[in-house]
Amino acid sequence: MEKKFKIAMPVRYGINFALIVLGWVIFTVLFSTGALNDYWKGIVVNIGVNIILATSLNIACGYLGQLPLGHAGFMAVGAYTGAIYIKATPAYDLLRAGNTTAIIPYVIVAIILAALVSGIFGLLIGIPALRLKGDYLAIITLGFGEIIRIVITNIDSVLGFKFTYGASGLARIPKFSSFNLMYIMTVISLFLIHVFMKSRHGRAVLSIRDNEIAAESVGINTTFYKTTAFVFSAMLAGVAGCLYAGTLGSLYPATFKFMKSIEILVMVVLGGMGSMLGSVIAAIVLTGLPELLRSFSDYRMVLYSLALVLMMIFRPKGLMGTYDFSLNKSIENIVNKIRGKKAAKADKEVQE
Amino acid sequence: MTFSSLIAQFINGLQTGSVYALVALGYSMVYGIIKLLNFAHGDIIMVGAYVVYYAIASFALPPMLAVILAVLVSTLLGVTVEKVAYTPLRSAPRLSLLITAIGVSFLLENGAQLLFGADKKSLDPMVSGSFQLGGVNVSYAAVVTIVVSVIAMVALTILVNKTKMGKAMRAVSEDMGAAQLMGISLNRTISMTFAIGSFLAGIGSVLYLCAYPQATPTMGSMLGIKAFIAAVLGGIGSIPGAMIGGFAIGILEALVAAVHLSMWKDAVVFLILIIVLLFKPAGLLGKKTQEKV
Amino acid sequence: MSNVLKCEHLRVVFGGLAAVSDFNIEVEENQIAGLIGPNGAGKTTVFNLLTGVYTPTSGVVTLCDKDLAGMSTIQRSHAGIARTFQNIRLFKDMSVIDNVINSFNYRMKYTIPEAMLRLPRYWKEEKAARERALELLGVFNMQDLAEVNAGNLPYGAQRRLEIVRALATNPKLLLLDEPAAGMNPAETTALMETIGKIRDNFHIAILLIEHDMSLVMGICEQITVLNFGEVIAQGTPEQIQNNPVVIEAYLGKDRD
Repeated sequence: MEKKFKIAMPVRYGINFALIVLGWVIFTVLFSTGALNDYWKGIVVNIGVNIILATSLNIACGYLGQLPLGHAGFMAVGAYTGAIYIKATPAYDLLRAGNTTAIIPYVIVAIILAALVSGIFGLLIGIPALRLKGDYLAIITLGFGEIIRIVITNIDSVLGFKFTYGASGLARIPKFSSFNLMYIMTVISLFLIHVFMKSRHGRAVLSIRDNEIAAESVGINTTFYKTTAFVFSAMLAGVAGCLYAGTLGSLYPATFKFMKSIEILVMVVLGGMGSMLGSVIAAIVLTGLPELLRSFSDYRMVLYSLALVLMMIFRPKGLMGTYDFSLNKSIENIVNKIRGKKAAKADKEVQE
Repeated sequence: MTFSSLIAQFINGLQTGSVYALVALGYSMVYGIIKLLNFAHGDIIMVGAYVVYYAIASFALPPMLAVILAVLVSTLLGVTVEKVAYTPLRSAPRLSLLITAIGVSFLLENGAQLLFGADKKSLDPMVSGSFQLGGVNVSYAAVVTIVVSVIAMVALTILVNKTKMGKAMRAVSEDMGAAQLMGISLNRTISMTFAIGSFLAGIGSVLYLCAYPQATPTMGSMLGIKAFIAAVLGGIGSIPGAMIGGFAIGILEALVAAVHLSMWKDAVVFLILIIVLLFKPAGLLGKKTQEKV
Repeated sequence: MSNVLKCEHLRVVFGGLAAVSDFNIEVEENQIAGLIGPNGAGKTTVFNLLTGVYTPTSGVVTLCDKDLAGMSTIQRSHAGIARTFQNIRLFKDMSVIDNVINSFNYRMKYTIPEAMLRLPRYWKEEKAARERALELLGVFNMQDLAEVNAGNLPYGAQRRLEIVRALATNPKLLLLDEPAAGMNPAETTALMETIGKIRDNFHIAILLIEHDMSLVMGICEQITVLNFGEVIAQGTPEQIQNNPVVIEAYLGKDRD
């Protein structure tokens, strides 16, 4: 049998890296020439936040096959952790003075802290919640998410000092989420999810989704992997929250209501649970489209919910199903097809 | 806190608790029969409340007619949602059904916001006045609410235990396939369950208006979640469980408010839910099930 | 030769009813044992007891002289018990080869950080796992299906993949729950040969539940017959075929 064409591993990584750089160059050119104004730059940054949120929920929802309804809670933990930390640093004044490089170490620490603290919350919530399944898991995570929000709203009265500034909001957060930071963080998040899923650990997570009893029977430590996936999902939600805080400059607990969790869920479901590409596309479309159709903004949520119901009835696997695009695989397939045709043609000629 | 104020809070709790219980029954029945957490159930109450509001405020109908209309619309809405959104998904994975229910819930909430506006629609109280009972001020609204919901629950218990329809409902919830083989119409039984559940939600919406005379697009969301918690607490699928759960949550909330911690009210309810789910996932009166290998 | 599996006085009670009572069996290395009986006799319950899905009310299970009491399904898999399921339980949205590689999880050692940084151990173990998986798929000549989604396989191939997946855990004892269910006679014959081949090449003990008597009588060296949770006969195929109690259990009592 003829050996199939395969792109070698280092080349694969090279191609992907080149694509990432190319994407960055295109955006930078668009911004610097003014083809995309500052308003659109803001939207692009928002899209980044939503991509991380959607792909992180996709870990727990699409890959692990659970339905957590408290994702906004983890986002809130990350947002407040990052914001409270960075407000304690000189970053705000540095940024006002236009010193964007001096804040980089603070931003890095803020993001790492946000990921860690959200991860701890993910662990504390995941251990009990993951003992339940299906609807019960959905409702218990909803409960935890709401508790997080209520605690953020009311904690100051218990502590006796200003910590989260309650319902009146946490203001004067340095707006550190530049396009560059967002681009890098989105790429890192997607990369981490990808390399996790394409390993024995990711395989174990998928096998639990497909059949938990069978996964146990082949020795998969289901509790460990469920918790790991849940924590990973929470950590990235925390990162997204931290970046969100850095785009807005102020935080209000009401942002992280149950409604926010559902908005993220809509992205994952529309894109196709279990497809990272689907989540990315849905995050881009559902963030960008309402901006293009501003006159429709009243109808936005109605359309969202209608889309969700129709999607479940007519295309329950979402737009992309569990399909994930790989440029390298596509190239391989095309090359193999062309070669196959050539070989067939050669065979024919020989026969004639 | 004086004893009489404690009693007053207790009666308040019973009043809200009866509304929770009525709504919880709808959750419990639907869950029992098609294993669906019907997120849209709470929003049916919201629609019922708007019907009452517009019937009285815009069309100046007599309150009694408004009430009948609200119950009728709620029932019809519940059955329509079931037919349009849930029936096509009967053999789909549970997760798809749950997501659909969330979608319907959001559709109703956002649709209401679009149609009726996001602002509060306030209403004159439908039942006013109060009387003294051993030094405690008791509103007529509370009495009406508690009495009506107890009657509704007793009627439901009789319906489920004594009638042919009730027997069919219990059979379907026990084993859908076997019930069908015995000649029970699945579609009719499930629609009937939704009709009864939504009928109770319609009554619930009227009683809710007795306590808080205003309608907002999202009023059903938290109310629905609390009623669901009540159903879980009592043991989902169990009628007496839903009642006990509803009263328990209502009284608990009133007591938390009585000690001036009302801002933590929702957190306490969720905490109770979490504790129940972790230590007695089948609820107080529910039964446990296990997947067959 | 020593026993791989040994059950002594195994008993389990569900709601006052003994689903299995006083179950005893010994299966040696390189031996194929059969477990037969009418529907509802408790055969799958025995498998669930062996794999730790159910906890026995009383009795002892040992694997290579090691007591398995208190061990979970996962631990028993690590100890060397693998099984297939009567109602197929494949990872249907994963590729055939990933279904197999997933069984190596316990024996692969690279950590999550190693996977995320793509360190050498990741590449080495993944490469070895792929090769070994293809080799195992070769037992059933399924190498060409490696990249197909397991859920898209035809029924017979799904049953065979379940066996490969179980074998991939490197078991000492393989439990097959109705491996020939739904297969045509030609497929059953092929399966019989393969089961024999597995026993010879992997040196493991096999215990199988099966309704197809030609298969059971053809490859099993010893047979245990269950009825209403109780062992009513145990012995070689010839002994079982001629045992009046077994005939009665299967065909009912002669009424005249």
